Amino acid sequence: MSSFVRGVGGWLRRRAENVAAAMLAVMFLAFIAQIVMRYVLGLPTGWTNELTVILWLWLVLFGCAFVVREDEEIRLDLIYSAAPAPARRVMKIVSAVALVSMFAISLPAVIDYVGFMKVQKTAYLKIRFDYLYSIYVVFVLAMIVRYLWLGWYAIWGTDEAKAPASGEDPA
Amino acid sequence: MTLTSPFLLAIVAITVLALIGQPIGLAMLVGSIFYLLLAGADLGTVAEQFLNGMYSNFVILAVPLFILAAELMNSGSLTERLLRFCNALVGRFRGGLAQVNVLQSVIFAGMSGSAIADAAGSGKMMQHMMTKDGRYPPSFAAALTAASAVIGPIIPPSIPMVLYALVSDASIGFLFLGGVVPGIMMGAAQSAIIATTARRRKFPVEPPVPLRQIPRITWDSLPALMMPVVLMVGIYGGVTTPTEAAAVAACYALVISVLLYRSISLRSLYASLLTSARTTASIGMLIAGALVFNYVVTIENIPDSIRVLLTDWNLNQIGFLIFVNVLLLVLGCVLEGTAILLVIVPVFIPTAQALGIDMVHFGVVVVVNTMLGLITPPYGMLLFIVGKTSGAPLRHIVRDTMPFLIAMLAVLVLITFVPDLVLWLPRLLGYQG
Repeated sequence: MSSFVRGVGGWLRRRAENVAAAMLAVMFLAFIAQIVMRYVLGLPTGWTNELTVILWLWLVLFGCAFVVREDEEIRLDLIYSAAPAPARRVMKIVSAVALVSMFAISLPAVIDYVGFMKVQKTAYLKIRFDYLYSIYVVFVLAMIVRYLWLGWYAIWGTDEAKAPASGEDPA
Repeated sequence: MTLTSPFLLAIVAITVLALIGQPIGLAMLVGSIFYLLLAGADLGTVAEQFLNGMYSNFVILAVPLFILAAELMNSGSLTERLLRFCNALVGRFRGGLAQVNVLQSVIFAGMSGSAIADAAGSGKMMQHMMTKDGRYPPSFAAALTAASAVIGPIIPPSIPMVLYALVSDASIGFLFLGGVVPGIMMGAAQSAIIATTARRRKFPVEPPVPLRQIPRITWDSLPALMMPVVLMVGIYGGVTTPTEAAAVAACYALVISVLLYRSISLRSLYASLLTSARTTASIGMLIAGALVFNYVVTIENIPDSIRVLLTDWNLNQIGFLIFVNVLLLVLGCVLEGTAILLVIVPVFIPTAQALGIDMVHFGVVVVVNTMLGLITPPYGMLLFIVGKTSGAPLRHIVRDTMPFLIAMLAVLVLITFVPDLVLWLPRLLGYQG
């Protein structure tokens, strides 16, 4: 069962990686298209601008929710890595409680704000802002799940225990 | 402001979360939610600031593209060719490889815009070359690599300068130009230190590359050497915006790797994209967290309070610059550079403007300052990176970094007091400041 879950998690993670790499690739191509259109063909474009900004926003939120690994996040781990195991466990629990509670408390207001943005559309691609911004809600949910998981393992788990896809390599 | 004010409590929360090892971007995000909660404000504001801040600041797009450009250069063979070129030029002197390390940093600085990328890419190769067969002490190779990587974001292009432009509205193009002279001064200072210590520490000499081979090696690396030229012409010739120039740099690296050097496969291209996407996401989260917390700092009116406070001290330009430099150097020991540039520096911008300090000059000074923070213990990001590669104890690396750090501090003092060192080149190319 556990290996099945891990297999599915790994598969999902690799697909998430495909998506993130594709977002960056499209972003890059849109930029090149913009330069070519403007300077070679003399046709300034607005949609490429918009597309790149949208992809940047999505790449950051989607990437942090599903792709970025623990060791790639920018953090100061001097104290954490020097601390003995019981202290680390306490740090993990404190972090998990803080992050889960703050993200969870903010969630209703966040959903409200994103829903409210349905009244606006982007200038060129005419994408409704609530769709565009919904990735933030996904990010918040992913963070809540990840830190619930990390907190759970800090309390009950053994050191060898591995978290699944969204929270691999427990903190 | 009392000890239980929401703002101070939020700062305490962010500091604690960061110190116990949470990602700094998330810590700032969570701290901002905490602030709004205590202040009884709408919590949806966090989402609003995050999303609108990321969506409306077009200049930040240079960040992912410069990251991608650096990654593509490292995975293609551009880096190797450039190292061979540098070796042909300066390898023949005593401490030759060390000189190569500095020279390649100055040249690479014209491409990647990120000290971290330089240290992890070309810097890592240099470290391996220098320590092979025990030629240089590992701690020295590591220290020099960290010190020379600092030059990367000073000489354009530069991700930290893009971030400064974001908070100050100074022109990226002129900021880039302003970094050229200070960057070259730092390279020259490092080179001089190597030259003077090489004999005493008995550094080896590389077998000299015969002069008649130099034209061929130069020709071989010419497309890579042209990259800074392409970038500069793009930006200053008015062909591309600095942001687009980042895309051009990535495109150029890709094209010459694929067509000319045939050194990149589909698989390695995918790996480069994925690595860059990961880096982009984690740096992006840091930037977004800083933008959100910046909002908190602004509604608390901190920049204005600072301006009033510093005006009360009757600081003049020089006094103010010394104060900011010392403060940032101290903060640089314990904080991460992006957070300093996006959260701390904006607090001082109104005062700098009120004192009539040029925004390009101020920008270059604070960027040089925060980059030095990358090699100051205990939290010098570059020290960790080179330390990981080298395996030498951190305290030995720190000891060997000191002469370079002192030399670069001297450069910082010079550019602080002699604004013309920074502003000469931008003015030459039309900067009205």
